Amino acid sequence: MTRSRDIRWLPGFSWVTLFFFVFLYAPLIILVVFSFNASRSATVWAGFSFEWYTKAFANDDIQRAATNSVIIAIFATIAATTIATMAALTLSRNKRVKGKPVFGGVLIFPLMIPEIVTAVATLTFFAAIGLSLGLGNIIIAHTVFCIPFAYLPIRARLDGMDESLEAAAQDLYASKFTTLRLITLPLLMPGIVSGAMLAFIISLDDFIITLMVAEAGSTTLPIYIYSLVRIGITPEVNAVSTVLLGFSVIVVTLSYVIGKKNKT
Amino acid sequence: MTSAVKIQALNKVYPGDVTALKSADLEIGDNEFFTLLGPSGCGKTTLLRLIAGFEEPTAGVLSLFGDDISTLPPEKRPVNTVFQHYSLFPHMSVFENVAFGLRRLGRSDKDAKARVEAMLDLVHLTDFAGRKPSQLSGGQQQRVALARALAPEPKVLLLDEPLSALDLKLRQSMRAELKRLQKDTGITFVFVTHDQEEALAMSDRIAVMSAGEIQQVGDPSAIYEHPENRFVAEFIGDANFLNATVAETTPSGTTYALDAGGTLTGPDQGRAKGEAVTLFFRPEKATLSQVGEGPNQLRCTVKDILYLGNSTDYWLALDHVTTLIVRSKNQTDGTVIADIGEQISLSLDPAALRILAT
Repeated sequence: MTRSRDIRWLPGFSWVTLFFFVFLYAPLIILVVFSFNASRSATVWAGFSFEWYTKAFANDDIQRAATNSVIIAIFATIAATTIATMAALTLSRNKRVKGKPVFGGVLIFPLMIPEIVTAVATLTFFAAIGLSLGLGNIIIAHTVFCIPFAYLPIRARLDGMDESLEAAAQDLYASKFTTLRLITLPLLMPGIVSGAMLAFIISLDDFIITLMVAEAGSTTLPIYIYSLVRIGITPEVNAVSTVLLGFSVIVVTLSYVIGKKNKT
Repeated sequence: MTSAVKIQALNKVYPGDVTALKSADLEIGDNEFFTLLGPSGCGKTTLLRLIAGFEEPTAGVLSLFGDDISTLPPEKRPVNTVFQHYSLFPHMSVFENVAFGLRRLGRSDKDAKARVEAMLDLVHLTDFAGRKPSQLSGGQQQRVALARALAPEPKVLLLDEPLSALDLKLRQSMRAELKRLQKDTGITFVFVTHDQEEALAMSDRIAVMSAGEIQQVGDPSAIYEHPENRFVAEFIGDANFLNATVAETTPSGTTYALDAGGTLTGPDQGRAKGEAVTLFFRPEKATLSQVGEGPNQLRCTVKDILYLGNSTDYWLALDHVTTLIVRSKNQTDGTVIADIGEQISLSLDPAALRILAT
């Protein structure tokens, strides 16, 4: 069959797709390439160098911001994943809960709320109740918006799981919590790990909500990068961004691979 | 007979007023291979889940060796289940699967190990202890499920259509295997199936169920030879039904005038003259011959001939609306008794004729 007769061939579509890919990845590639530039210029290539990475790692402010980011991400991830797991188990298994699809929808609805709205609302709310815990404020805010992200892969995994396995455990003299510990959680683990990694990245990358909620001394990496950019783009920003990018790609890939692994 | 399971007026109504079990009474004896047989939706699985404890009865009493267990959760009942799709724990080895119940009961490692080994030996899977369930064939998984359920020495073993996922050959060999296991262990088996052949082949007794009600309880030959109603007669094997009225009663037997014409004689079943009845006989109980019109013979026209290998089914038209099936064993010479369109005589042994409650 010639190409022109093939129903699946649509003229021009592949070029648009290709253009999209270029647009999507060219800026990232340029950022990564210029983070290794030997000169200060962000546009003229002057040879390969690790200079900006060395500088970035030696920078106390960057170190402090990175540490804050990681601490916030770790605590928010643990809290969000735990709550998301409990919510997923309740909304998929508990027969007494009525209107489960509604609750499920409400749980992931924040994914569709404009982040700036959430950010302002969170700031107002914290101010109203007088909450001032430093990093604690950011951790609480991050936990909340990470829950839907952690929930989705956990719920997907749970829905694909055979409920008769839990019935079998119960039939073999296992109590509810023994069944949860020995059967449900181990089988759910790929979903939980996948959800946790997603939550971690979302927390690590967050800018808008963090900017609103952060108090003095709780600067995170994205906020610090933003403040650097306002002064002017330097290869140092490129270097820090590249590290963050690399880290995100690795974690998201792992999350995807683990989530896909041994589907039961 | 000591009753292993005794249910009295047991009812199960699901939300939305769906009655799955209507006031069932049943006694299952100790050391019995008992089968719950019926089409899907008849309530057999509900009854099994009630015994296992996965469902709570709406009303009625369920007792196990004399103890009322109606309100106990599944983990407190000395009853184990072999699930339809085995439900082996995929993240555990065969050994760990079989040991699961023993560990929950607090058996020592040494005890549990010995018991698991004995169980794996019983189902011929000793060499597979270290494998994961996904590395086993369907038949092997089935045997692991059996070993796992038998390991804690349950008082009653429940089997939920355990053979339905296997292919035909394996299913047939597993029938003998299950019967052997039941005899060897001496444990009461309650087996759920929709396959009447399976039920007849394995059971000591069968309860035929339909629409949430127990239709008849009896041993396989009683169920097959003396079905109490039309549902049982139709569900187990093939059946011919004839509407008739009682024409004459004598001490030696009763003669029935068929609505489709002709008469048949059968054993006296205490029906009054003139009463309308439904007669029933199995296709293999009748014989065909080319000639004659004698006592207990009906002249029919051959409508269809279905060759089944070891036997042949003749579809016969008695009149325009009544079709009878006669199953004739195939002889070595392969001669055909009649061709389509020919007239033929059907003879029936009076002892094979039954009256059904309508």
